[in-house]
Amino acid sequence: MKKLTYFPGCSAHGTSEEFDSTLKLVLKTLDVELEDIPDWNCCGATSAHVMTENLAYALPLRNLVLAEKLPHTTMGIACASCYQRMKVTKVHMDENPELAAKINSTIVEEGHYQGKVDVKSMLQYAYEDIGLEAIRSKVTSPLTGLKVACYYGCLLTRPKKITQFDSPEFPMSMDRICEALGATATEFDYKTECCGASFSISNTEVVESLSGKILEMAQESGAHAIVVACPLCQSNLDMRQPDIEKKSGRKYGIPVFYFTQLMALAFGHPREKLKFPKHIVPVEGALSNIGKAEPAPEKIKKPTKAVEAESEVE
Amino acid sequence: MARVGVFVCFCGANIADYVDVPQVVEEVKKIREVKYAVEYKYMCSDPGQQMIRDAIVNNRLTSVVVAACSPRMHEKTFRKALSDAGMNPYLLEVANIREHSSWVHQKDKKAATEKAMDLCRMAVAKSIANEQLFEISVPVTKRALVIGGGIAGIQAALDIADARIPVVLVEKSPSIGGKMAQLDETFPTLDCSQCILTPKMVDVASHPFIELIPYSEVLELQGFVGNYKAKIRKKASYVNFKTCTGCGACWQKCPVKVPNEYNMGLDKRRAIYTPFPQAVPNKPVIDAEHCTMLQKGKCGICAKVCQPGAIDYTMQDEVIEREIGAVVVATGYDLWDPKPYEEYGVGRFKDIITSLEFERMVSANGPTNGVPVRPSDGKVPKNVVFIKCIGSRDEAKGIEYCSKICCMYTTKHTILLHHKVHDSHSYVFYMDIRAAGKGYEEFVHKAQVDTHATYLRGRVSKIYKKGDKLMVRGEDAQIGQVVEVEADLVVLATAVTSPHDNPELARLLGISYDKHGFLSEAHPKLRPVETAKAGIFLAGCTQAPKDIPETVAQASACAAKVCGLFAGDTLKKDPMISTVNTEFCSGCQNCVNVCPYGAIVTDEVPFGHGSKEMRTVAKINEGVCQGCGSCVAICRSMAINLAGFTDPQIINEIVSI
Repeated sequence: MKKLTYFPGCSAHGTSEEFDSTLKLVLKTLDVELEDIPDWNCCGATSAHVMTENLAYALPLRNLVLAEKLPHTTMGIACASCYQRMKVTKVHMDENPELAAKINSTIVEEGHYQGKVDVKSMLQYAYEDIGLEAIRSKVTSPLTGLKVACYYGCLLTRPKKITQFDSPEFPMSMDRICEALGATATEFDYKTECCGASFSISNTEVVESLSGKILEMAQESGAHAIVVACPLCQSNLDMRQPDIEKKSGRKYGIPVFYFTQLMALAFGHPREKLKFPKHIVPVEGALSNIGKAEPAPEKIKKPTKAVEAESEVE
Repeated sequence: MARVGVFVCFCGANIADYVDVPQVVEEVKKIREVKYAVEYKYMCSDPGQQMIRDAIVNNRLTSVVVAACSPRMHEKTFRKALSDAGMNPYLLEVANIREHSSWVHQKDKKAATEKAMDLCRMAVAKSIANEQLFEISVPVTKRALVIGGGIAGIQAALDIADARIPVVLVEKSPSIGGKMAQLDETFPTLDCSQCILTPKMVDVASHPFIELIPYSEVLELQGFVGNYKAKIRKKASYVNFKTCTGCGACWQKCPVKVPNEYNMGLDKRRAIYTPFPQAVPNKPVIDAEHCTMLQKGKCGICAKVCQPGAIDYTMQDEVIEREIGAVVVATGYDLWDPKPYEEYGVGRFKDIITSLEFERMVSANGPTNGVPVRPSDGKVPKNVVFIKCIGSRDEAKGIEYCSKICCMYTTKHTILLHHKVHDSHSYVFYMDIRAAGKGYEEFVHKAQVDTHATYLRGRVSKIYKKGDKLMVRGEDAQIGQVVEVEADLVVLATAVTSPHDNPELARLLGISYDKHGFLSEAHPKLRPVETAKAGIFLAGCTQAPKDIPETVAQASACAAKVCGLFAGDTLKKDPMISTVNTEFCSGCQNCVNVCPYGAIVTDEVPFGHGSKEMRTVAKINEGVCQGCGSCVAICRSMAINLAGFTDPQIINEIVSI
């Protein structure tokens, strides 16, 4: 039994409740136990770091300090934005002890930051700490036939200096996880394009245009569904999809899953537990492809130039 | 008693703005031995030197201190001024109050002034103990080694050899020619690269004063200016060049296919091969790594078809030695690997190629007979996007410097594309157009007007695939909008980098290189072809990115330097070298181990006067000693003395502050 400190973040209790609950299902199967940070607080999200540096660091730092009171060495975070704020704070505090001391002084009653807890997104944890082999071993109903476009968004792998995980421009970790589940990852060039993020509320048109392009590229790649690891990406691509369809005149009907939902599905958890009714775009059409006979799945080709590296003998 | 003259320089504003020069002069005047002290705006100028000469004569000075810039800059100038006034030039001391004080303490004039005073006091104290020294003459081997057989090495070798000085030209690949041999046409005149290069290559091979050693590497360089000894490893070619006629039967029959380096891997060569048809020497070599006979002992077809019997599978690498007097390093450049541009899909999309790959395609002797094609489907592209500054001027992904040649060769590529595919269209994404050079700006204008190349100022942020097209999304900063271009082919102008093995070469030659691996010149403006090590010179891109005209000019400059070095029968050498007092030497040989130049050997001397018993002592080869002082520092019995830096001189300096 592995144990992991868990920071749920606000969306896990709201819009991305299906991420949170399927994550817990999946980790149970994988023999990982989550322990919530006691009395955790908001990460500050977009609002804090556009206002003041002090607040932007102090909010995540409080969570980091509280996390150190638990015995586990790693903190897993579901939401990409929470992950970003926490990881940025951790890296900057570790690099700059003077700054750490200054920020720490504002939350001194919670304790002293020591930098002993590592921060990982749940995607990174699944890929690096659990590993593809362990994931593959738990698959009871493989997702063969389902073609997915893995969409990482802007925060999970960037900036490289901070995240130190996967490629900042063309990540493959989620693609590999989906392949381990039996699904086929399509060649999708829009993996790290912006979905419009929190402009969803203040400037919906921008989101409709940016998310619309992502949907278009996913459809052109031949994907039945999009897979994400970020609550905001999910809500923009799923919730705005009917409006995007209306404006662009294109029909997409592409459901947007959290990768944990697909893991749970492949691990054989009953569909009722996967919160599919919470989706705006119906999932049944996409999921009906599972088990359908497919011509040889189109794998993402390894980078090759015009020539083969090996020599050949006639 | 010593009579010291002190000459303090303003260096225009360089020193005077940050150091109170008159105050320094007043301070040094207080020293008992200083009989004359004066300040002047430019001590290195002719009137400044005249002041020194006059003061020496009028004040009967016994030593001179010049407080000015680094001795690396003007020590020679001032020594000459001393000589002209009839004084031994080594009675000069330079107090470096510019690099060591005014330039580095610009924020604190008081402290800078005090430091300048200290430096002057030290120099005065040292100069009191200075002794007359006399230049040493060393013999010179009049033969030059040129490392690298690209256009830089070829030009340097030819120019030196034309002065009837023997040259050893070492090239690591099977043929000379370098990158220029891979080019189709050259900017801005569009003359054919091969046509202007191959005659020079043939001249090298046939020149009576050039010994061409292809397919070999320099292993070791020992000695000093005028007297170097180079070890060269001739890689086993498995072909006897003396009997081989270059008929080509072997490579036509060889069954092994290997990506062809000359064509950037766009087609295949055989395991026995000449790099290209115009190769010099035009003799094949066997690529041992891929040859099935050498790897597995099976095949042997080339030996069977070779009528003169030139194939020898048992050939071994051979190490040869050459005595030489000077070295020209011309190892050229590498190209940056654009893999970090993941947002462009480099490595995923076959139809993204580098500029040198494009160059090979449009070359008449290239893999596609001069027609550019898409690697994915072999179709001739209509819309081609050229992206400049791939790796250059991009600190986040690549390197901060400008590669200098990409603006011009990309311009050339738009013109060549237009020549080869008349209904094509070029789009060029650029940051700036750097076209400084004779006829360069006109050439860019020609591309924009005559061939209708569309120049878009801005960076490309993304390339994605749509059907069989590549969608190139970038900014057009001049209209302030994001633009998307549908491309059949994308060509990346990748940065020029230093050859990857430059650091290793620099270490074995004992010269320095910068953080990018380019070999360092002795002075960026006034000694651009010399290195800090006497007798070693730099030509071409190994020093910094440059185009062909500049490379050729630098190579010829190297040749002039080598000829100058060899003009006399001996070389003059500074007398600041170590000597061993054998009375004190205990023979511990610590000095032998620390000497970086191998200048110290052991010798046997009698134990005492008339004694028959012998003891070991250190002995210094004065031709090899560079006067670094390492032996002086390690010697426990204070038996070694470095002329110009004797213990009394150093102790005087320390005591003075």
